[in-house]
Amino acid sequence: MAPTNSWTRREVLRIAALSGLGAAVASCASEPESPTEQGAGGEPSPTFNEPASKLSGTLSILLWSHFVASHDEWFDAFATDWGKEVGVDVRVDHVDVANVPTQIASELQAGQGHDLMQYIATLSQFEPSVLDLRDINEEASQRYGEQLGICRDSSYNPHTDKYYAFSPGWVPDPGNFRRSLWEPVGLPDGPTTWEELLTGGAEIMKSQDVQLGLGMSQEIDSNMAGHALLWSYGASIQNENEQVVLNSPETIAAVEFMGSLYRDAMTDEVFAWNAASNNEGLIAGKLSYILNSISAYRSLQEVNPEVADDTFFVPALEGPSTALAAQHVMYNYIVPKGAQNPDAAKAFLLHLSDNFALATYESQLYDFPSWPSLAPDLGDWLTDDPFGSNPSDKLAFLGDVNTAAEWSASIGHPGPSSPAIGEILGTYVIPNMFARAVRGNMSPEQSVQRAHAECERIFSNWRRRGLIGG
Amino acid sequence: MADVAHRTRLVDRDGVLGWMFLAPTVVYVIALVAVPFGLAIAFAFSDVTSGDPTYDWAGLENFRRVFDDPVFWQSLWNTLVFTTVSMFFIVLFGKILANILVADFRGKWVVRFLVLLPWTTPVALSSVSWLWLLHSIYSPIDWVLRELGLIETNLYWLGRPNLAMASVIAVHVWRLVPLAAVIMMVGLLSIPRDMDEAARIDGAGYWRRMFEVTIPLTFPLIAVAALFGAIFTFTDMAVVYILTRGGPNNATQVLASWSFLRGIGGGDIGQGAVIALFLFPLLLIAAVLILRAVRRMETL
Repeated sequence: MAPTNSWTRREVLRIAALSGLGAAVASCASEPESPTEQGAGGEPSPTFNEPASKLSGTLSILLWSHFVASHDEWFDAFATDWGKEVGVDVRVDHVDVANVPTQIASELQAGQGHDLMQYIATLSQFEPSVLDLRDINEEASQRYGEQLGICRDSSYNPHTDKYYAFSPGWVPDPGNFRRSLWEPVGLPDGPTTWEELLTGGAEIMKSQDVQLGLGMSQEIDSNMAGHALLWSYGASIQNENEQVVLNSPETIAAVEFMGSLYRDAMTDEVFAWNAASNNEGLIAGKLSYILNSISAYRSLQEVNPEVADDTFFVPALEGPSTALAAQHVMYNYIVPKGAQNPDAAKAFLLHLSDNFALATYESQLYDFPSWPSLAPDLGDWLTDDPFGSNPSDKLAFLGDVNTAAEWSASIGHPGPSSPAIGEILGTYVIPNMFARAVRGNMSPEQSVQRAHAECERIFSNWRRRGLIGG
Repeated sequence: MADVAHRTRLVDRDGVLGWMFLAPTVVYVIALVAVPFGLAIAFAFSDVTSGDPTYDWAGLENFRRVFDDPVFWQSLWNTLVFTTVSMFFIVLFGKILANILVADFRGKWVVRFLVLLPWTTPVALSSVSWLWLLHSIYSPIDWVLRELGLIETNLYWLGRPNLAMASVIAVHVWRLVPLAAVIMMVGLLSIPRDMDEAARIDGAGYWRRMFEVTIPLTFPLIAVAALFGAIFTFTDMAVVYILTRGGPNNATQVLASWSFLRGIGGGDIGQGAVIALFLFPLLLIAAVLILRAVRRMETL
């Protein structure tokens, strides 16, 4: 019998095994030393700096459940890995964003709880019960350069000269619009001014029966929209010296303009909203424009790619005075005076800051760092979105950290985010000021006067406690 | 032997046994009612904030600030309106439902089970369901009304003050009617059958029996149902907080939700405590009036 060319089973297995081994060796040899070498779209590699002192024990961290769920998976592993490296047992608890202030308040009242607590807005009301974080704020600025003013304003009280919080990151609040709705009214790139928002929005409402989405309800996005409009008209709640200046012709003009927006381009729906409503409206195709972060868009990419492709962004709208939007989120970490392991808490915050580029990447470009130097690739990512935007440069309007910060302001602008500002935010004085006038319950002048009186009452209360100036 | 005898004597003593049975309730009431109530009074006269638990005497300052605030008076008015209207409908629908539940029909136990569901569902869960039912875009209620040709556009239940108030009242009534119905059902079942039969023989019709026999005999339980309805409506903030957060423009703000927003959302626990304390005298007056009425009826 002539020998055959067919391979035996043994030979096939041997060749397959050798090929597999060879491929593995080859891939290891060609793997870049760090993921950053993969190019602009790659995930940055984590860095580790030894803490200043020897750490031990446990570290418990309380923070919100991030709008981009993948961030939390990364954060939990990131914190635990750091703990293993430095000999600290780390526990991370996520809480729904609406319940974080309640949780923090109850833990501070009880004098026990987490060592490190985070929230997405100012925590200035907790200043008397938390440690001064001057040391790590100064250390961070030494490491990374100058911190953005909007982040410093929400973590530092100039009146008491105390860093009551540490703010490693923030999130811009651009306008989200549906191009297919704005194209027919001659604004394919969306509105750039409040006046264009009114004329274009009114035309869309008239011709396509789709309304604008600026809330005047008792929820956080309505607060942000109201502040943006006030600032763009040159109005504000307080001045740099923490004196209430709300009752001004500029505020009245802003309230009157909101009335025009409501009459021509919105419905009563905006008085009923909760924090998720404008996202839902955009996803349902029922809103032509909303003020929100890119999280609504990221959700759309998953649930409705067609509408996601039709969603575009604009920076803050230009008003008669300027173009400013409130920060959408401002990350603030506090360490309670009763924390069991404050050294570990501080060391972890510096480690988190060292790696904030990772936080930016894992949050799908939602989180921006407070120190612009911390995400050197952000501009490239925004120009060529690694998370599947179509077109890929859809987020390029954000530019980089500094560019986005130019049209962003912290709550309390032009003053600090004091406890008084926090209470005004928490009791929805500004959305209600707009709503009263817009609904016709009061004239714009009367509504502004009432809001001014409410602000004065709140300011005097906190001034009495020595926590604000003015 | 002596020890056993001693223990027997101890258990046989009514006073000791009574206190032993009462002790858990007393401890519960002291720990979860009296202590928080005392704390609320103490906080009302202090400058305690959510960020500063140290106690400093503030006298009547918090009361003055709360009384200066128009939202407080609006919340007080809303609370009274919600409670009064809700109580009326809770008693009315509870009575109707109780009459249905005592009737004999097939599947009575299934119906009783279903009727009790709104009461047994956690309030947060049921409120979230209502949030969807009243949603400004996706409301199934609006969809049905549109399909029936009764409306052209959505009603925005939670975006218009009157509709928002009606919605919150409706959810309270929906939640509490089953409880009232069960309480009144017990009353109906306790009426001796011969009384009803005697009234029939005397020629009394349905409505006459209802108003001259059934309601007077079950009035104490109707009053208890009303009292429960009032207390649960008056002190509840979950429905308002989840549905409207007090909006639109504080049109549905009630004392309980405003106390929470001011105390926790705004961080001023002293003022939050003052607002919460206002629930007490109003509830006390309502409870005394209702219980006095019940006693008067019982002595007739």
